[in-house]
Amino acid sequence: MEANTMVHMEKNVTSPSKFSHIIMKSLYKYLFVLPAFLFVVIFMLYPIVYNIFVSFQDATILNLSSDKSFVGLANYAYILNDPTFKIALKNTLIYTSSSIFFQISIGFLLALFFNQVFPFRNFFRSILLLAWMTPLVITGTLFKWLFDVDYGVINYLFMQLGIISESINWLGQQGTALVAVIFTNIWIGIPFNMILILAALQALPKDVYEAARIDGASKLQIFYKITLPLMKPAILVVLVLGIIYTFKVFDIILIMTGGGPVNATQVLPFYGYELAFVNFNFGHGGAVATIILLMLTLVSLIYLYLVRKEESM
Amino acid sequence: MKKYSKKQYGLFFIALLISIVFLFPIYWMITTSIKPIQDVFATPPLIFPENIQFDAYIKNLIEDRSIFKYIRNSFIIATGTSLLTLILALPAAYALARFRLKGGGVFLLILLVTQMVPGIMMAMPLFIMFSTFNLLNSYLALIIGNTTLALPFAVLIMRPFFLSIPKGLEDAAVIDGCNRFTAFVRIVLPLTKPTLLTVGTFAFLFAWGDLIFALTLATDESIRPLTMGLTTFVGQYGTQWDSLMAVSTIAALPIIIIFIALQKYIVSGITAGAEK
Repeated sequence: MEANTMVHMEKNVTSPSKFSHIIMKSLYKYLFVLPAFLFVVIFMLYPIVYNIFVSFQDATILNLSSDKSFVGLANYAYILNDPTFKIALKNTLIYTSSSIFFQISIGFLLALFFNQVFPFRNFFRSILLLAWMTPLVITGTLFKWLFDVDYGVINYLFMQLGIISESINWLGQQGTALVAVIFTNIWIGIPFNMILILAALQALPKDVYEAARIDGASKLQIFYKITLPLMKPAILVVLVLGIIYTFKVFDIILIMTGGGPVNATQVLPFYGYELAFVNFNFGHGGAVATIILLMLTLVSLIYLYLVRKEESM
Repeated sequence: MKKYSKKQYGLFFIALLISIVFLFPIYWMITTSIKPIQDVFATPPLIFPENIQFDAYIKNLIEDRSIFKYIRNSFIIATGTSLLTLILALPAAYALARFRLKGGGVFLLILLVTQMVPGIMMAMPLFIMFSTFNLLNSYLALIIGNTTLALPFAVLIMRPFFLSIPKGLEDAAVIDGCNRFTAFVRIVLPLTKPTLLTVGTFAFLFAWGDLIFALTLATDESIRPLTMGLTTFVGQYGTQWDSLMAVSTIAALPIIIIFIALQKYIVSGITAGAEK
């Protein structure tokens, strides 16, 4: 059809009325995209730009509708000098890296397992996704109960297994709260990682394995020499998606700890939320939002660079 | 009927074991909600409930009916998000797949980038925007907020689907006297049913589980969804875990039902969403 239109255009370019008709004819194509385009610009791009803009302003709930003064980098200076920011940054990095490490490694092992053929395989594979699908508020409430100091089943289980000798107040003390929240997030993320890695495993070329088996390679050799290298691009995608999704952590922090005790589970998105919606200092909130955006952009750029390198090899 | 070997039945039992261990928290949520309170606090914990009773459900569904208001709000918001996402994404994804549009590539890139922005970052500017237009505390505000999460995902998984439909189908329809719009509605739309289901389901689930926009854009209790309701119950019940788990189970029930009914579409949605 596109080719047809092109032909028509060349034929009819001489007649002005026909020409405007053709403009109309290609304009309708844009009408399909227009509603989504407007929505994205107004409700998604504008907010992102607004965050950057407001981060250079003295904006609070008080001067919201009046003129706001430009304050340069004052908001950034405030944030970077705030000890809570450093704690939040450190916790976010610990939270993201340890969550992803365990989600991907356990997800990979499960994917290898579910890549075998056995009865009801697809049923088991997808039922595990329930952990990922459950709204985070529910998961957070549920794990608060599982981690309960007096009657929590996790304390009971760990004591039975001899991992701990007495009940631990997981969410109530500074040393263990972050561990408990990370544990919860790993549980949530495992099935998601498993499904993505499994899809990639199933897309691997079968003949390579065939050839390796004929050449007498052992199972371990096949895994290290064939599966892992072939899976590298897929793992990279899962890794980047994982970083982006894990970085967003908010709901389970709000429900399980509220960032506490004493900032032990304070993370960047929650810190930004508190600045904007508890202190109602939108300038500070905007600065944190912009810092998060910069960090995620950096992650995506590294990803794009790695993909390019991979492709040029 | 496929015949399985002994080893494959062995794998089946390992899979069963993995699933039981992994999904134990969900099991614990449901069993806590149907135990009498003294059994909830039993040491050692009763892995299998000895006395089953539904007091927590009677209390939260019949005696106190405030939960229904939250459920209704969640349904309105989730259905609205689902519809708005489909209305916006369907024609856009179709055009991005079919036509050579100027700036189409940039638009796709923008969608990819906005997908990574944390919801809480969108919430503050939207809060300020909606407060100037007096839209705070409306279903529309929450539907728009949730659609910002669902729309990029929707376009990014629908476009490859349209690419996979042979173009000849519509060309044939145009020759038979359809115009582009009727060709789209009569020929392409019926083929997209599975993708519509996937996208619609995901948008619904995103909105059903949303806490960020519910927390920031709706301060009025009367339009707050179930996720906010749950946080209210957490404050109100403290450690009455039987009631809390009953409310959680009620809130998770639509998810579990949708999940069981639409498993196939959900799994394909997740894998398609990552192939970009």
